[in-house]
Amino acid sequence: MSREASNPESWLTDHGDYLFRYAQSRLRNEEQASDMVQETLLAAWRGWERFSGNSSVRTWLVGILKHKITDLIRKEIRNRKLAEAVESDPTSSMFSADGSWVEAPTSWKENPEDLCESDQFQKTLQGCIDKLPEKQQIVFRMREITGEDTESICKAAEITSTHLHVLIHRARLALRTCLDHHWFGGNRHS
Amino acid sequence: MNHFCREASQLQSDELERELTLVERIRLRMHLLICGACRNYADNLQLLNSFFHSLRKQTEDDKNITLPDHDRERIKEALKKASES
Repeated sequence: MSREASNPESWLTDHGDYLFRYAQSRLRNEEQASDMVQETLLAAWRGWERFSGNSSVRTWLVGILKHKITDLIRKEIRNRKLAEAVESDPTSSMFSADGSWVEAPTSWKENPEDLCESDQFQKTLQGCIDKLPEKQQIVFRMREITGEDTESICKAAEITSTHLHVLIHRARLALRTCLDHHWFGGNRHS
Repeated sequence: MNHFCREASQLQSDELERELTLVERIRLRMHLLICGACRNYADNLQLLNSFFHSLRKQTEDDKNITLPDHDRERIKEALKKASES
């Protein structure tokens, strides 16, 4: 490996923005995101001899960053004692005792690309996600906003995949209702 | 009469997360045949799923998100210190 390739300042120049974007999309906190970039580059510098050269430097750096982010989220979940928190089950109020919908879902007539272009929709969505119980928010964001795999989310939140699926299901139900009331339903009445 | 909607909603979400068992799949499909509300829920989930997919692509491609200059300087200093020690 050339000296040039193992120069951390060149990593910062070549991959700094990419790593920051990756961290920012997952943490949504500029300060934490740039801290993660710094920690990643320092760890990479210390562990340079472990870089095998089988993958690109960027892939290797992203691998380190991913671990750092998972650790950070895990710490946050622990500090806020979210793992023990009992969160409400929205399914009980959404279904009658006989198992049918209290408020039957109706069809949404919009297309996903148009919604992506709409700042107003994204604001509404963000508001709906913010209303979810905290643990649901964290795992739902990891799952849908950043597209993390089941294994990383379970590791970060210290839960089983079965529990994760229940949380995601509850989040989706609550989100559907919230969006129906604040976006799709509103359009229907107009 | 007992409705299957509550279970069906969980299965529909699970289907996006894991492979359903054969029995689960059959029960869900049979139910969707007779339940318009759950078919609508399926459409809603599908729409959200595609939306999040597009949103992720958009974020990954967003070159406007860059490491702030003062952070870049700070990191450069930290790396310099580390490589000198």
